[in-house]
This record gives sequence, structure tokens and C-alpha cells, in this order.
Amino acid sequence: MALNLRQKQTECITRMLNLNQPVNATGTANEEVYKILIYDKFCQNILSPLISVKDLRKHGVTLYFLIDKDRKPVHDVPAVYFVQANQSNIQRIIADASRSLYDTFHLNFSSAVPRLLLEDIASGTLSSDSIQRIAKVHDQYLEFVTLEDNLFSLAQKSSFVQLNDPSAGDREIEEIVERIVTGLFCVLATLAVVPIIRCPRGGPAEMVASALDQRLRDHLLSKNNLFTEGGSFTSSFQRPVLCIFDRNFELSVALQHDFRYRALVHDVLGLRLNRLSLQGEKGGMKSFELDSSDPFWVANGLLEFPEVAVEIETQLNKYKKDVDEVNRRTGGTDGAEFDGTDLMGSTKHLMNAVNSLPELTERKQVIDKHTNIATVLLGEIKERSLDSYAKKENEMLVRGTIDRNELLGVLRGKGTKLDKLRFAIMYLISSESINQSEVESVEAALRESEVDTSAFQYVKKLKSLNVSMASANSASRNNIVDWAEKFYAVTAGVKNLLSSDRQLALPRTVEALMEGKPNPETDNYVVFDPRTPKSGSGSSHLKGPFKEAIVFMIGGGNYVEYGSLQELVQHQQPVKHVIYGTTEILTGVEFIEQLTLLGHKMGFGSSTAAPTP
Amino acid sequence: MSRIRDRTEDLKDAVRQTALSLGYNESKLAAVLASFIIHKPRQRSAFTKAALKTLESIEALEQFMLKHRKDYVDHHRTTEQERDSIEHEVSTFIKACQEQIDILKNSINNEEANSKGWLGVKADATNADTIAHKHGVVLILSERLHSVTTQFDQLRAIRFQDAINKAMPRRKLQRKANSNSVDTSKSSTSELKEPDEFQPDRLRVQQQLLDDETRALQVELTSLLDAVQETETKMVEMSALNHLMSTHVLQQAQQIEVLYDQVRYFICFPYFFLFICSATVHNVISGFVQVPLVSV
Repeated sequence: MALNLRQKQTECITRMLNLNQPVNATGTANEEVYKILIYDKFCQNILSPLISVKDLRKHGVTLYFLIDKDRKPVHDVPAVYFVQANQSNIQRIIADASRSLYDTFHLNFSSAVPRLLLEDIASGTLSSDSIQRIAKVHDQYLEFVTLEDNLFSLAQKSSFVQLNDPSAGDREIEEIVERIVTGLFCVLATLAVVPIIRCPRGGPAEMVASALDQRLRDHLLSKNNLFTEGGSFTSSFQRPVLCIFDRNFELSVALQHDFRYRALVHDVLGLRLNRLSLQGEKGGMKSFELDSSDPFWVANGLLEFPEVAVEIETQLNKYKKDVDEVNRRTGGTDGAEFDGTDLMGSTKHLMNAVNSLPELTERKQVIDKHTNIATVLLGEIKERSLDSYAKKENEMLVRGTIDRNELLGVLRGKGTKLDKLRFAIMYLISSESINQSEVESVEAALRESEVDTSAFQYVKKLKSLNVSMASANSASRNNIVDWAEKFYAVTAGVKNLLSSDRQLALPRTVEALMEGKPNPETDNYVVFDPRTPKSGSGSSHLKGPFKEAIVFMIGGGNYVEYGSLQELVQHQQPVKHVIYGTTEILTGVEFIEQLTLLGHKMGFGSSTAAPTP
Repeated sequence: MSRIRDRTEDLKDAVRQTALSLGYNESKLAAVLASFIIHKPRQRSAFTKAALKTLESIEALEQFMLKHRKDYVDHHRTTEQERDSIEHEVSTFIKACQEQIDILKNSINNEEANSKGWLGVKADATNADTIAHKHGVVLILSERLHSVTTQFDQLRAIRFQDAINKAMPRRKLQRKANSNSVDTSKSSTSELKEPDEFQPDRLRVQQQLLDDETRALQVELTSLLDAVQETETKMVEMSALNHLMSTHVLQQAQQIEVLYDQVRYFICFPYFFLFICSATVHNVISGFVQVPLVSV
């Protein structure tokens, strides 16, 4: 059975809402039927894609608040807190308890609350004599956001910048790695699996993999741990493989203009936490939900935009036909056919019509929603000629080269500044060799359009480093400057792009790791198994084959990468499953901003605009 | 619940250590730690007690329905009369629950109105959050009742579907019988015509009279049957179309939901003014958007 992260996380949240008591058949047959839910911003983002206000009410939640809002006392009701374990939340909890805002307090932290903070709660509530109000404290291990059954994000901003920052010290890097490991640990605890961990050598990926392995080992020492909770006994070939990568492994995916529906809606319209806000015709903002409950979204997310438009048309016509059918059968019977038997039949049809009305209304709503979205998308695509960007970038990646006039034509043509910058960087990444004069003309064209070229400079530097690294022999690797070592993974990544095969590097690598056959690309990948002793041999079972994989991208990922992994496993026999996760889901613009920041940090300056008269 | 997740013991431990360091004596320490094990019996307000009672009633209704579900749906286990009586009981029960919910709803409004009367200052117990909470409780009860009545409506729909199916084949047979009888009467008259020519006049007249009578009777019977059939159809039709009993409950739930949303809206209202004074309209709007979760 496939691992379903969304379902598992929702189950944990449901249990938490029922005050961490086992949920019986009727759901809430105990005394504490009504409760108030308090959360912080982070946990609100965890809850919002998973549970609606109506569902909250089903579990007896009458009110829900952000923790730092001013709240009034509501007596004789328990309060369920779901917050991150940090100092400001703890202080607020102590304040609430001291004011006796609610009857009892059930504290739930999104990850393990440190001992020090527990002591703070103890001293704070003892001094205000309110300790008796604290009923329970639980660690929920839910510090991640699940968007789909098999898509999650750790919601950790700017980890790419922080990890690649040349001025970052060891302490800072360690902290970031710790945070990522905590997030991943929560995901694994919720799934209740201990995977085999694989990652490329060097860089943040190996750091995270090794730290996660250690964390799991330490945790598994105790008999009653999170992974024996479910009582599941999985033999090694049923364990999934956790593949950890760093963003530098394949930079192009985060930047390129993709033309498939889901990627477009995210990149162009700003889909966030499965919600989309669009400017309505009458000026107001309209909000749409796009998740697994929307059948059109599920079925057509991976289609290219023109096909989506066709599909909307098809659905609309089918709907109109069905409505006409219902009308024909029930309404307006002509006098000629009016007699006793038809009256009886029409009642039956009328009943069927009444029953099918909600379904028809729902279908119309979905069609209207996507018509709306597609219309706005079309406007953006036309204005920025995104179809041209997508096509040309693809060609560049496949051919490894582009005609200079075409290249400059794009840079001088339609599109926002960032579109052009993305295109220019895609050119850099995809060209097999750096043609100095061509690069200079690109830079000039960018400056003409008043684009900040720091990001471009940064990637240029990366690429030149890669060239120099490729020529350096293994012995001299240790002499490379510290921060450059973090770019080690770039070598492998850029090499991936030089192949003419358009398949993205990530799904190809994941496929190889899951198949478990000898493969020059993955053979030297590191392998960790938290369950076996470190010195143990018998590593044959550790290399596969695997039916399930969890793929984690450090530094940021997007729907293009997610979609490519889904396409990979759908076409495999026997069917396999992949869960995709990342530190944060980034649009192309957001990623470019991080590259720009890195460019600035490396001193590539930000003044590019020619002085205007 | 796994001990790994439950950290209450750790908190208790931290409490013990902190209490000792603060200089608590034995008895005080024991009292504090005891609160972790023995919980004070909760003081429930009248409102909460009434709400819990209503919830019990709704759950009892659900149990009743589940118990009689098989009997109700299956033809051979119950008669029409028994099914009618089950229906009647259920609808009385539903009405009683609705009334209880209405009482609760009105009590919130009354309390609000009364508390304002006292020196124009609201008592602590009737702040905006508490009122919103109470509206939430009533809304939850209303939605619960609605889900139960929807279940029952589905059972009713099955019943009426069966009723219609039963009526329909009869009609078909009836029409066939009608057309047959009409044909036979036609053919009998034509048959009779021929031998008439060879029969003496007296017999012919008698036969004619009989035929006329028979025909008249047939026509009368047919029209009577048609009338009865029509009435039956209309009755089944009307009750089938009106079988959405739960519409009333749904309307009530929707009314309560509107109230609830209004109250939640007004929790922000006082802060609305503060924002207006000190910030731009943009800040106000972004302040609003942060409060609710995903709205339905």
C-alpha cells in the first residue's frame, strides 16, 4: 500500500483535536466535546491545506485563534494549543494560563519541545499559581506542510541562500542542517517508517543525510519509540528509500519556464498552500482552492496549457448536454404526450433530477473556476509570451546551443525583467561551453533592460568553478576553498545537463536508485541504514530494488520537479510510488531572488541600470 | 498514546524541580503535583449543560434510526402503518431537537441583551469570545442534527422509490386491461351485429340494452379507476417532492451560521477602530485576512 502522507498527518491532527484520546466510532463521545483551538502562524499553514472550518466543527472546535491575538476568557471550555516550541509561544501560553482564559490547557508542539522550555512553563505557571490548568503536553512531530498525498514542504525559507552563503560559518550551517533534519524526522515519524537513506557525496545532502541517520539511530535506541507505535513490522525490502539531494544538483528546474497547467498556476499566478487569489472582474479578490478534491485539477494538472483549454471546453459541452437531458426529461412536456403514465414517469425523472442537481452544480462550479483561472493565465502568457520562453528554453537544454540572434531577440523582446534573467541563466546552464563574446552580449542585453545581473554573475561563477573542478584531480580536492566545497555537487549536476536526453536528471537518478541495478551515476552514492549497526556488512539489501521512495530536495523545489517524478512512476511496471518533499516550494521568481542575493554576497554588485537622463 | 509523544510526565518533573527550588514545602508540593493526577470536577455553565443534553438527544435519535433502519427499508418486515409510525416518531424527535437548539440560540441573544442592561457594562462572562463560542456550539449541534436528518431522508427516498415502482407496473397492466376490454367490447358488438340479422327483434333489443349497460358500466369503472389512480399518483408525487425534510433543518443551520460568522466578524471590530486610527486601510485588510482558517 502506498504511503499517504496527507492521510497520516490528518489522522494525527484529528487525534490531537480529540485531546489525544483514541477516536472511537462516533468521533467525540466523551465529556470534552467542545473546545477552542489556538495556533501560531506556522501551524496555521500546516492545518489549512488539511482541514476545513467545517471539519473543525465536526471535531467540536467552536472557535479558533492565532496565539498572538488578544483573546477574551471563555470559561468551562478546554483549549487545544498547536504551536511551535519557541520562547514567544511559551510566554504567551504562560500569560494565558495565568489569566485563566480557559478551563484547561492541552499543549501540543509541532516538534519535540526542549526541556528548557518545559522548565519555563513550570516556573511561569507556578509563580502565577496556574499550573493546575495545564492538563497535558504532547509532541506531535508534525512540523511540515503536506499539500498533496505525496507532496510536502518544510516551509523553511531561504535555506538555499543560507547554505550557499560564502560568509556562513560552521555554526550557522549546522543550525540549518539541524532544522532540516528535524523537519524530515517529523515526516518519517508521521509515516512511521525508517527508510534506507541515499544521497550524492559531499555538500548539504550528505550533511543532512548523515545527521538524520544519527538522529534516527539515537531515537531507535529506546524500545518504545515513534516507529514501533503502529506496531508495523516491515521487512527491509518493503522499506522505502529516502533520496536526499541539494538544489545545486539540478539548477535548471527551479528556473525554467514550464508550460504545464499546475506549474503555470504556481509560477505565474502564485498558488500557495493550495489556494489561489485572483483579481475578480469587478475589482474584488476571488479565492480558489486547488487540491485533491478538485477532479479537474487532479486529472489535468500535468497537461500543457493548450490541452487544458481544450479539456475545459469538452467538460463544458458535456455539462450542457447533461443539463439539456435533465430538462428534456422533466420540464415542459408538450401537451401531445401528456397522459397518465407519463406523469408517473416524470415524477421519477423529477426525483432523479433533484438528486443530480447538486452534482451538476458542483461540476459547473469546477468548470467556472478553471475557466476563470485559464483566462487570467492566458492574459499573462500573451503579455509575457511565456509559451515562447518555455519552448526556447527546452530547445536550449536539448540542443545545448542557441542561435545568437534568437537569444538576443528574446532578451530584447517581451517578458518581465525576471523572465529575461531566467532565460539568460538557462542559456548559461544549457550551453556546453562558455562562449565569452556571446556571454558578454547577453549581459549587455540584460543591462539594457535594466535587469540586476547579480544572479547571472553568480551562476557564471558556478559554471567556471565546475569547469576548473572537472579538470582538478581527486587529490587536490582537499585544497579547494571551503565554501567552494559546497558546490561540489554542481559538478554532477551540470554534467547531467550536458546529456542530450531531455529527461530531467532528478527522476532519472531516482529511477536508478529505486531499481537498484549497478549504475555509474549512482554507484558512489552514500548509503545509510539507521536500523543496522554501523559496522555491519550485508549491504546488498540496502541498494534496492525499492517500491517506494521519498525524494527530498534541499534548498527549494517546485511543481515541475514534483510532476516529473509523478510521471516517472506512473509509467513503471509494476507501479511504484514516490513522495516528493522540499525545504520550501519556490516559484522561479523567488528562486531568482535567492540567486541574486547570493550574487550580492559574492560581491557582484547591484548597479546595472544605465543612468537615465 | 506512546510515552514518546506524551511529555506531561516531563512537565511534572520540571514542576517538581522548580517548586523545590522556589522553596515549596512538602504539602504544597504534594498539592501541586496532585493536580496532575486528580482533576477538579468541572463547573459547567447552564448553557453547556443544556448543550450537552441536546447532543445526547440527537445521538439518541441517531441510535433510534439505526435500530429501526432495517425494518423501515425492508418491505416484508413492516407494514405501511408501522413505517408511518416510525416516520412520525422520528419527525417528532427532530422537531423536539430543533426546539432545544432554538432555545439555546435565543438564550445567547437574551443573555447578551440582558447583560447590556446592567449599568451599560458587560459582565465578564458575556464577552465577545464567549458569545462566539456559544454560537459555535449551537452551530455544531445544528449541523449534527442536519446530518442525522439527511440520513433519514435517504431512507425515505428509498421508501418512495419503492412506492412509485409498485404503482407503475400496476398502471401498465391497467392500461393493457383497459385497451383489451375496449377491444373486446368493440369486437363483441361487431360480432353481435351479425347474428342480429338472424335473431328475432325482441332478443335483439334486449341484447342491445344489455350491451349498452355493460358498456356504460365499463366506462364508469374505467373512469373511476383513472380518478383513483390519478389521486394516488398526485399524493405520491407530492410527498416525494416534499421529502426533503432536512431542508428545514438546513435552513436553521444556515441561519445560525450567518449569525456565527457575524459574531466572529465583530470580535475584530474593536480592533478595527484601533487599526483605522493608526494604520492605513491596507494594514486593516491584511489584519482581517490572517484570522480565519480556510473558509468553506
